[in-house]
Amino acid sequence: MGDPVEHATGLEKRELMAKVAGNENPFDLKVIKRGPGTKDKPNEIPSAFDARLVGCICEEESTSVNWMWLYKGQPRRCECGHWFNLVHKAPV
Amino acid sequence: MMNKNHPFHLVDVSPWPIMGSISALITMSGIVKWFHSFNSTLLFIGLTSMSLIMFQWWRDISRESTFQGHHTFIVTMGLRWGMILFITSEVFFFISFFWGFFHNSLAPAVDIGMTWPPKGIETFNPIQIPLLNTLILLTSGLTVTWAHHSLMENNFKQATHGLLLTVILGFYFTLLQGYEYFESSFSIADAAYGSSFFMATGFHGLHVIIGTTFLLVCLIRHLNNHFSQIHHFGFEAAAWYWHFVDVVWLFLYISVYWWGS
Repeated sequence: MGDPVEHATGLEKRELMAKVAGNENPFDLKVIKRGPGTKDKPNEIPSAFDARLVGCICEEESTSVNWMWLYKGQPRRCECGHWFNLVHKAPV
Repeated sequence: MMNKNHPFHLVDVSPWPIMGSISALITMSGIVKWFHSFNSTLLFIGLTSMSLIMFQWWRDISRESTFQGHHTFIVTMGLRWGMILFITSEVFFFISFFWGFFHNSLAPAVDIGMTWPPKGIETFNPIQIPLLNTLILLTSGLTVTWAHHSLMENNFKQATHGLLLTVILGFYFTLLQGYEYFESSFSIADAAYGSSFFMATGFHGLHVIIGTTFLLVCLIRHLNNHFSQIHHFGFEAAAWYWHFVDVVWLFLYISVYWWGS
């Protein structure tokens, strides 16, 4: 039996190679902690596409998520005032 | 234009779920027809169509996982949950037969002589073939674990041996159960004892056949190098299923064969 990464193919192999390279979250599925979120230092949202749906938990105790579409090249503010910006990230 | 950058497997349309359901219906109707009129034509049609569908469904999943790489980590987690829930539902399926057995045996009705086993029923000797079958299934649990550890240690040869032995033991169990059914002095038509005995052990036997088939598919896939050291969930699912069948047998042996005789 060969090396398990060599054995894999397609998306499974690309996921495994990302993990070998030290990236345990190659598809960016985990929650991103908000930074300062000012106009100069917006929260950077990675995406391989022209737009990504962003859900902002405005306050820690909030019982709902505020959703909005974020487009490439158009930084946007959430209702709570935090800035978001779409940054390109190569697909897995 | 790339249109996917997520780890989920969005499956293509497949004819197998509906065709498998139809073939299961034909098989069940075939069994009823066989039991009632000793004519097995419909059963043969059902089993043939089911075998063809099983072959093609397994082939498709092997292609999607091994050859197209659709089974990312999160996809295998979905498969694991699916198997866990399926086996849980199987546990409750068998609980209903045990419920029926204990309902009939713990307070035997006057109609069967207020005794268990009922008057006139000659039961199997639990320390003969049933005890041998217990040993066979326990040993097969050992060999399937041997195969699993060999897979995890990249040992192709020992994984093959462990799996092959497990399949042979499963087949041997079925053979002995068939022999015992053939030798039986009572039938499924012999009131409460026959019904509860053959319903419980018969469905267990069917599960042994399914489990052996599942392990045999794993053996063939292993011989074709489908499994890797870290990715062999098809095998693990078969092993889980096999352990479940093993545990059901222990309960059957203790309550139906031993206590019930």
